[in-house]
Amino acid sequence: MWQATFTKLGQTLLVLLLVSVASFSFLKLAPGDPVTIMLGSDYSKASYDQLTQELGLDQPVIVQYGHWLANFVRGDWGTSYITNQNIFELAVFQALPVTLTLAAFSLLIALVIGIPTGVMAALYRNSWVDVLATTLAIGGNAFPSFYLGIILIWVFGVGLGWFPTLGFVAPWDDFWQGMWHLALPAITLGAWYVGLIARITRSSLLEVMGQPYILAAKARGEPGWRVVWVHGMRNVLMPLITVIGLQLGGMLRGAVMTEVVFSLPGLGMMITSAVLNREYIVIQAGIMLTGVLFVVLNLMVDQTYQFLDPRLRRRK
Amino acid sequence: MNQVSVLAQNIPVESHAEASLLEVRDFSLRRKKATVLDRITLSLSPGETLGLIGESGAGKSTLAMALIGLLRAPEVEIEGSLRFRGTELTALKEADFRRLRGNKIGLIFQDATAALNPCFTVGKQIAEPLRRHLGLSASACRARAVELMQSVGIPEPRLRLDAYPHELSGGMQQRIMIAIALACNPELLLADEPTSALDVTIQAQIMELILDRVRALNSSAIFVLHDLALGAQVCDRIAVMYAGQIVEEGPSERVLNAPLHPYTQGLKSCVVELGMPTLTPIPGQIPPLDAMPNGCRFAPRCPKAQAICGEQRPETQTRDGRQVACWFID
Repeated sequence: MWQATFTKLGQTLLVLLLVSVASFSFLKLAPGDPVTIMLGSDYSKASYDQLTQELGLDQPVIVQYGHWLANFVRGDWGTSYITNQNIFELAVFQALPVTLTLAAFSLLIALVIGIPTGVMAALYRNSWVDVLATTLAIGGNAFPSFYLGIILIWVFGVGLGWFPTLGFVAPWDDFWQGMWHLALPAITLGAWYVGLIARITRSSLLEVMGQPYILAAKARGEPGWRVVWVHGMRNVLMPLITVIGLQLGGMLRGAVMTEVVFSLPGLGMMITSAVLNREYIVIQAGIMLTGVLFVVLNLMVDQTYQFLDPRLRRRK
Repeated sequence: MNQVSVLAQNIPVESHAEASLLEVRDFSLRRKKATVLDRITLSLSPGETLGLIGESGAGKSTLAMALIGLLRAPEVEIEGSLRFRGTELTALKEADFRRLRGNKIGLIFQDATAALNPCFTVGKQIAEPLRRHLGLSASACRARAVELMQSVGIPEPRLRLDAYPHELSGGMQQRIMIAIALACNPELLLADEPTSALDVTIQAQIMELILDRVRALNSSAIFVLHDLALGAQVCDRIAVMYAGQIVEEGPSERVLNAPLHPYTQGLKSCVVELGMPTLTPIPGQIPPLDAMPNGCRFAPRCPKAQAICGEQRPETQTRDGRQVACWFID
């Protein structure tokens, strides 16, 4: 178990290193000179050289990379030229919590709707319930989330006025205000996940319900709901977690769209405005942070998987 | 005299219902128009063991599933009667039937590896019927589970209580399965090929264990087996099934030593015995359910078949202390 964990950690570090090389070289290859951007259109040769030196851009690329990586690990991510904000603080303390809150809330909504839908579809296979659930699931998956977001804003925000159309209130500051502001974005992002979760739940449960241990549970006199929700769903959890883990990338991608549509100050919003302003070091920070987030979440999913499936645990 | 026989025919006689634990009468089961079980009639007294013998596809397991109520209307079409302790099982509400399952009727599956839930410890799975049917507390469940594990010969049961099924050998898993089936001291134990999935060396042990426990609890048992000789050895009575019908039923010794039905005779000549020159296999196979012959279902494979066998179903008759369904009993 420990050896497996260490191997996993080693792999994770390797992946992060590759992400850092990619994001560093991506910016080296990007058009535009950061020095000219920082200096504006009017500058002298001396000030240009001075800033180049200050930024370390006159040194070999590998050294620049080393400096950059060391600074990144230390949490020294530089300062935004536009807002003059500390980027580490901006990304980790302001943007990241917003994105995580949005993602967690969306996932919660998706699970609460998707699992029962999938279970119903499996139990009443080929009935109208199944058709409806499958249609909704595929619809949710196929519908572009930015478009759904705009429709939700239009209907529930502008038309009915039930929900705010933009902005973020931290739920840990004001829970109900936070939920109220998060409702539409979370539904927008969660809708895509609902379909996925419902479909996986349906197909996995159908497979599990055909297993002899389900028949055995019934033969012990277990009532139907317990056979499905305890004996069946306990075994559905593993494939479900795997798929949720595999689709975390999609979740983060969706979060970018959703944040832009609803003007939530999350990582997606941060990266988008950095791209528009050509603030390379903010983009770099955003890419790195997203990479770390993705890798850490995957690692967590892997650990959960081991925890959920007794067969993966080592024998005592 | 005449009056009595009329009474006996039309009214379920209470004393008779009490005398036998299980009464199966003209029980038929149809699935998508195919008759899987055809007018099965059987009875089982308390403490008696019965072997259901036949090839795969004969309907033995289906009958066991129907007896424990895991195959019921409306999923399948059912006719006839199943009486257990005088209660008509076919008319029982699902919630009431559930109270019998794992409680008064236990079931041992063929493949314990597949029949134990991989995500729950064996202790939890043994405790389930104890909690549900006997209402024992969590700690009482654990204590009783340890006792049960001990009774089925599991060494160091206290340590194994929190083991997951995959941590135990196949033989141990089957012992756990037996402990679960016997947890609430059932009056009827159904064992569906309980040793087929096990190593030969363990088969005899497990069979001996089941018989031993059944005797200790004074339960009745129905063994689903494909081996006639094994069936005759472990059961008081034997019912030979073919294509959803019982073709011969009677005391084990007589059925094994002097089989009357051609199919039983064929099964017997398939049994390997020392010093026997050759095996005589039964030619052909069980016809598919949607293409059953109108008359005797065994007729197409029967060496003694005549014209009538293909046309009319033979009535079950009593001969030499057993029930046989054949037109040409020697």
